[in-house]
Amino acid sequence: MLEELSFIVALIMEGASIGLMYSLIALGFVLIYKATDAINFAQGEFVMLAAYGGAVTLAGSLAGTSYGFILAFLAALVLMIGFSFALERTVLRPLLGRPVIAVIMATIGLAAIFRGLPPITVGASTKTVPLPIPDTPIDLWIHRIPAIDLLGVVVTLLSVAVLTWFFRKSRMGVAMRAVADNQQVAMAMGINVERYFAIAWAMAGIIAALGGIIWGSKLGVDTQLALVGLKVFPVVILGGLDSIAGAVVGGLIVGICESLAAGYLDPYVGGGTKDFAPYVIMIIMLMFKPYGLFGKRKIERI
Amino acid sequence: MFHREAGTFKTSYAKDMALFPLPIAKGAAAFFLATVAVAIPAAVLTGLMHEYYLTIFTQIFIAIVGALGLNILVGWTGQISIGHAAFMSVGAYTVGNLVTKVPHEIFGGPMPFWLTIPAGGLMAALIGTVVGIPSLRIKGTYLAIATLASQLIIEWIINHTPAISGGAGASIQVPRPTLFGNELKTPMEIYYFTLFFAVVAIVATMNLVRSRIGRAFVAIRDQDIAAEIIGINIFRYKLLSFAISSFYAGVCGVLFAYYSSIANYEAFQINISIDYLAMIIIGGLGSVLGTILGVIFVQLLPVAIREVVTAYGGYVIANPEQMQLDSLLRTLMIWGIPLLVLLAVRRFVSLGFWTRLIVTLLAIVPAAMTALGVLTYLFGSQFANTSALSAMAASLKLIIFGMLIIFFLVVEPEGLARLWRNVRNYFRVWPFSY
Amino acid sequence: MWKSGLKQLAAAAGLLGLMSAGAVAQDKELIIGMQCDRTGPTQIVGTTLCPAYHDYVALINSKGGVEGWKIKVIEIDHEYKVPPAMEAHERFKKEGAIFHSVYGTPQIAALAKKLEEDKMAATSPGFGSAAAADGKRFPYIFPVAATYWSQATVAVQFAKKQLGGNLKGKKIAYIFFDNPAGKEPIGVLEDLAKAEGFQMRTFGVPSPGIEMGAQILDITGRFKPDFVIAHLFGRAPAVAIKELKGKGFPLSKVVGFVWASSEADILAAGGWNIAEGYHTLQYAGVGRDYQVIRDIEAMYKAQNKEIPKQMIDNSVMYNRGIFQAAIQIEAIRLAVVAKKGEKPTGQDVRDAFERVKNFTLGGLAPPLAITPEDHEGGGWVQVWTVKGGKFVKTTDWQQAYRDVIKKHLADEAKK
Repeated sequence: MLEELSFIVALIMEGASIGLMYSLIALGFVLIYKATDAINFAQGEFVMLAAYGGAVTLAGSLAGTSYGFILAFLAALVLMIGFSFALERTVLRPLLGRPVIAVIMATIGLAAIFRGLPPITVGASTKTVPLPIPDTPIDLWIHRIPAIDLLGVVVTLLSVAVLTWFFRKSRMGVAMRAVADNQQVAMAMGINVERYFAIAWAMAGIIAALGGIIWGSKLGVDTQLALVGLKVFPVVILGGLDSIAGAVVGGLIVGICESLAAGYLDPYVGGGTKDFAPYVIMIIMLMFKPYGLFGKRKIERI
Repeated sequence: MFHREAGTFKTSYAKDMALFPLPIAKGAAAFFLATVAVAIPAAVLTGLMHEYYLTIFTQIFIAIVGALGLNILVGWTGQISIGHAAFMSVGAYTVGNLVTKVPHEIFGGPMPFWLTIPAGGLMAALIGTVVGIPSLRIKGTYLAIATLASQLIIEWIINHTPAISGGAGASIQVPRPTLFGNELKTPMEIYYFTLFFAVVAIVATMNLVRSRIGRAFVAIRDQDIAAEIIGINIFRYKLLSFAISSFYAGVCGVLFAYYSSIANYEAFQINISIDYLAMIIIGGLGSVLGTILGVIFVQLLPVAIREVVTAYGGYVIANPEQMQLDSLLRTLMIWGIPLLVLLAVRRFVSLGFWTRLIVTLLAIVPAAMTALGVLTYLFGSQFANTSALSAMAASLKLIIFGMLIIFFLVVEPEGLARLWRNVRNYFRVWPFSY
Repeated sequence: MWKSGLKQLAAAAGLLGLMSAGAVAQDKELIIGMQCDRTGPTQIVGTTLCPAYHDYVALINSKGGVEGWKIKVIEIDHEYKVPPAMEAHERFKKEGAIFHSVYGTPQIAALAKKLEEDKMAATSPGFGSAAAADGKRFPYIFPVAATYWSQATVAVQFAKKQLGGNLKGKKIAYIFFDNPAGKEPIGVLEDLAKAEGFQMRTFGVPSPGIEMGAQILDITGRFKPDFVIAHLFGRAPAVAIKELKGKGFPLSKVVGFVWASSEADILAAGGWNIAEGYHTLQYAGVGRDYQVIRDIEAMYKAQNKEIPKQMIDNSVMYNRGIFQAAIQIEAIRLAVVAKKGEKPTGQDVRDAFERVKNFTLGGLAPPLAITPEDHEGGGWVQVWTVKGGKFVKTTDWQQAYRDVIKKHLADEAKK
């Protein structure tokens, strides 16, 4: 009985930590949607690109040095901010005001480009992002958690805290919320909408850089890393496409459900429920509460 | 210039409602049909063109059926769907199961294609209707994500239900279709087989979109709430759109199963859904011609890239000296200087149409050579041998594919169909401007 | 406006140009068509295996080719998708290929019928349907390397040895990639479980297999097996190694199938010290200590080019590429010899395959014996273990439980 209990607890803890790491990726997605109304199907590829930036930097002579990983992070950051700016200018601007499918397809096209770039430029072998964290799991009373997972959880929670503060208290954050709420009025109030779009995308790039380092370290960096981006959708649907708190809650729910499903349903079905469960939950959510637990209800105007 | 709408008079309602009312349209349609049905097979039979190209066309025909279905849903009814490949999968497994599980005594062999194709389509339509139910409550992005989920769920169900997937292997061998007792197995026979269904699909779609149902679809796409107000039952028509679209997808899946003699879900995963979306976006949403153009474009792209990269790479490997920077600069100078002189003398836009055309064509050569030279300089080591080339071809395909999607979205949102219409309209009144 | 017309013209011209282009096979050239996955989910394999293949062909060509015939390889990347693979097959036919080196389980499944119709043989080493070992049923498919069934039997035999010679009452966990290839050995494993008296439970990891925390937790926390057999590909093996290690499960009680067994997987898991003790099944030799590898190194030196890093870093996959090329070229050689120096056809190469015997490439390849009944060649694997920063050979070529495999093949033939 005790063993069973500890198994459940372990499953839940495992699921929660993975779930929070999903949230990290979802945060980037939510940022973009919140500020610019664009659905980014290439979020996974952003994370992958950032991971490549970090891995390539670390692969140089900096491997093993204690400040190496900071440099790698900075490299990933610079890469992502640069990319985001470029993206926003060349791709998103012309597509403003176009039907949703245009933006979706544009990001899908982007995803294809990002997946094709690494093999030509840096080679197709898997790279690693060796971070100076212990290899053995860390003991946390009831659960042993791998160090990288713990780092991921901490980073996610920190990011959520920073972002929440940013949007509530800082001037830029309030301006961005204004832009997200009603572009025309924001423009009329003197807010430079275009600049804030760029800033929003740059911030999403920073979050992606964080996600890239963490996930790249956890899974190794190659073009398959982008697949983790598919998990973003159940998370944001559950939490609400434009809610930061929703990204966290959605991530937790998805992570825990996956874990429990794999632990309990797999033996009956022969495996694979882990993939299945979040999407089923997502569909149920879409039917009854399409805007998610915390999302803002969109009023459709004719 | 060849095409006058004035002077064609219709003397009956039937003639007025014909699919191709104008003589030139009739002529063009007949020409293309003749090319595809007669000229190309003749070229292959006489040895002018290798049999291999028939398979490219076969895959194009199969894709046309699927893409038309998707365009009905996305282009004409405005419902985004990223789950199209799953319905093809359903169609393929339907035919796989029908031909292996239905006792052979009933038909004197496996179930014939004229039964399996509708059956595959109907099964897919059924599943499609179920998937379309959420479209009532959710729109746009949310619907896209829901269809994405349905793609993954359907894939999962097929993979994990041995009754459907035929065991752990999840592959079912599908025998070739038989027509009047002959098995259709040569590339030529399969070519005609798929061509037939592609033509049927095209004609069906052309008729569907001008019918009442088609107009209801367009009304829903443009403004569904207004459509509802004027009395269109949007629930019914949205579901119908999903059903019809999935029917096409199912038929496409069946055709693919017959073509490859196997039903396997790994051939119908999400990357295929995205490919089809790309086809209709590049081709033009809401246009039959656009669908055809888009399919041809997307299907030929990997082939074209591979050929170009191999040719270029072969050239580079065989002539390493030519790709040195200085010889490139020389070429650039030879070609570029006359052009620069010309442009210095007269502004580009003041040149006549044909002159501009020739100048641009001529300018492509040095531009391409510079670009390739820069690429070689940067990635020269990658051309070390043929194996690196094919790696590059594959990555290039992804990059070019993505760039093309974005290009078409940004520059020409109505796709190749719009480009074609521009050309056609230009020539309609040529040599006048309007 | 002229822009669009221009685009149309350019596109049309380009298309026509492409369609009329076509390669012409030169004299004294034999063409092999090779598929590869360089950008899809198994790129971790393809990006090393395929260049290795080219290297071996270059080596053979530099030594005068096969009985005077030069070998030309046409490679097409299919991104692990089926339609490009089928199109590649037609392409190879057009170019006059006499052999088709297929890559990928769904690809070989889709092409099985076409290969037979087109009388072109194909190999499927380390992947594909295990039933294809039955040469009578699939005359044109040659697994040439241990199929998943054979790997399963050797894994069980190895586990038996590691656990003291007796499996009665022991628990074995089978963790697998949840797709047809991964599920294939389950039937054989269940038979062996009954025969040897061990309890087996299966744990499926869904694609893309980049996280399996719950499954590993289930294995280490609840099931607590005596041995783990892992059949994973792509990124999954590295993740599995990391997770198992993280939960404290001794890797010396884990054996991975052939696609969970390369240096790249070890490195992606975090390095050699993390994977210490991990056993792997190999269908080709590991490392650089083989004459053919030395020959290739010499060839590179002679051309003043650097030895490709993959030869050193990923010798597992590299050697498999060599093995694949070598065995195909050996069959071609036998075909040319049988035809007294004339150009062989696809059918000739197929027949020659069934005569391949005792071809070991200096130890790189197992002692294959391909017969008309057994296209697998015996199902030989070696076990190499991670020790002290590299792979160390633990057992020599072995096969196991051939009777069980024969029984399953016979069952398949009845379907």
